Amino acid sequence: MLIELKGIHKTYDNGQPLHVLKGVDLEIEKGEFVSIMGASGSGKSTLLNILGILDNYDEGSYHLGGTLIKNLTEKQAADYRNRMIGFVFQSFNLINFKTAVENVELPLYYQGVGRKKRREMAMDYLEKLGLTQWASHFPNEMSGGQKQRVAIARALITQPQIILADEPTGALDSKTSVEVMQLLKRLNQEDGITIIVVTHEGGVANETNKIIHIKDGLIGEIEENRTHSAWQGPIMK
Amino acid sequence: MRELFHEIASTLRTNKLRTALTGFAVSWGIFLLIALLGAGNGLMNSFMGSVADFISQNITVEGWRTSKPYAGYQEGRIIQLDQADMDYTAGEQWKGIISDISRTTGATSVSLTLDGYSVGGSLRGVMPEYQEQVKLRMSSGRFLNPDDLKERRKVVVLSTAQAKELSPKNPEAIVGKWVTAGSVSFRVIGLYNTDESNFTRLCPIPYSTYKGIYDPTDKIESISFSVTGPETLEEHKAFEEIYSSGLKARHEIAPDDNRGIWIDNGYTDNLEMTKAMRMIRTALWILGILTLISGIVGVSNIMLITVKERTHEFGIRKAIGAKPGEILKLIIAESITITAAFGYVGMFLGMVACQIMDKTVAQDAVTIGEETIRMLVNPTVGLDVALEATLLLIIAGTLAGAIPAWKAARVKPIEALRAD
Repeated sequence: MLIELKGIHKTYDNGQPLHVLKGVDLEIEKGEFVSIMGASGSGKSTLLNILGILDNYDEGSYHLGGTLIKNLTEKQAADYRNRMIGFVFQSFNLINFKTAVENVELPLYYQGVGRKKRREMAMDYLEKLGLTQWASHFPNEMSGGQKQRVAIARALITQPQIILADEPTGALDSKTSVEVMQLLKRLNQEDGITIIVVTHEGGVANETNKIIHIKDGLIGEIEENRTHSAWQGPIMK
Repeated sequence: MRELFHEIASTLRTNKLRTALTGFAVSWGIFLLIALLGAGNGLMNSFMGSVADFISQNITVEGWRTSKPYAGYQEGRIIQLDQADMDYTAGEQWKGIISDISRTTGATSVSLTLDGYSVGGSLRGVMPEYQEQVKLRMSSGRFLNPDDLKERRKVVVLSTAQAKELSPKNPEAIVGKWVTAGSVSFRVIGLYNTDESNFTRLCPIPYSTYKGIYDPTDKIESISFSVTGPETLEEHKAFEEIYSSGLKARHEIAPDDNRGIWIDNGYTDNLEMTKAMRMIRTALWILGILTLISGIVGVSNIMLITVKERTHEFGIRKAIGAKPGEILKLIIAESITITAAFGYVGMFLGMVACQIMDKTVAQDAVTIGEETIRMLVNPTVGLDVALEATLLLIIAGTLAGAIPAWKAARVKPIEALRAD
């Protein structure tokens, strides 16, 4: 089991306590391509933050690849994030004053990988995502789809256990959205990378093999979606 | 380390305005500090050069016009010191306090001639200690010695200015020659420098020689001596009070008359000057430190804005694996780089400004009476002080960067990512 959540509780206390996750149990196997769906306020972002070790939880246990992720120091958390998790964000979160290739190699910088090796690997991943000619361009010179592909390359470069994608198509038009989802699907199928996509769009979730519904801080229905027929509306948007 | 610098270089390059503003604050602070200290040093050097030369560690007593009627005498009487005053000064009661007593005679104006040239001079009988008392600097030959006095030699010390008049072709060659003063001839034994002195006409001759030729009385023009014991201004005032009361009693001067006896106390002059110097130096450093503080505030201000502006970026870096220490290191290293680089520029410009001051303002001179004073003398700052000040700014800049850096390093990645 790659991911194992048991009785996860999380309460935010901003003046008034807000119980966001009320005992989440979830298991995700290696190589799975799943989506977490829910309305805003359902707790899906909180769950993603906990999965991504960006936030801690109050109760329960979270095992990632057999390691208990609990009460980590900032330093340990940073190290685990660096080695085990690749993030893809809705707003890309590329560093604007760095070129595409510099953005992609940044996680390796924090691993202490040498400059030459880093550059080589980053170029490999950019090539894999068809971005070789954009390597020395800055994010503001690229389209949304290109930026998201740079972000995906950055997520892949450390060869993480899982890719966490938070609304990866949220800022993209429908055509580009399809392309990005196809890319994630290909990475899952060809390289066996475990991918978890958080979305509120049925069309996006339908591209994944399993849809986990979250509602009011609890896991609801878990749909097997091998046939990609869960969504009856337009394919996307 | 190289990686870190590459990282810093890329951030600085892309944030040119911010970098320039921070750099300006730093450079300006250091520049002002160094220019200020340089000007201050120049001022003090000028002060020391023109005043300190004429202050010697001794007390000189002379007779003066009284300002109050007393014991049947009217005010305005001129007091003349004599041998009895000398005996009083050398008396038993001052044993252990007053030492190295010397005296001078009054002056006699003469016309000195040599080979058809002539120049005015003011002959004065003095003792060998006189040279140190009035700080005469010899340019050639020697000053009077005890043997000159013992043997009543007819020798004279002239100024370089007089030597130039008497021997225009080769002033130095006058040493050893005999010059005529009226009916008497004196052998020139030495020349004193007139460049840094306010004497030009003074011609010292042995005390005993003067007495024998011009003034056989026991009148004394001035008495000079060193004192041991009094240290502070107050102690010196008290000593002067007690010492002069004896003289006032002898000469029948009103005890509360501030005139009548004139006392020039080199010790208190020196104390006063040291105090003045200390005040100037303190004032300069206070100004300098205030200037530096404004530079530091500038740096920390910009660092604060920088950190706020870059919170989102730090969030991204943290999400992909930057440890808090690495964020801290990045900001501090950036802060050090900026302050060090621009601090160096400021230091360099400050030194250049000092050199320019030296070449321009410092060459201007003001003439007061017979003295020529340069307003600034060598208005520069030692490299050690300049480096120390720059180092201080770098350390301060680092500390200034450390607080916002620490805050940035502690922000949780999700919070940082939410920031715009």
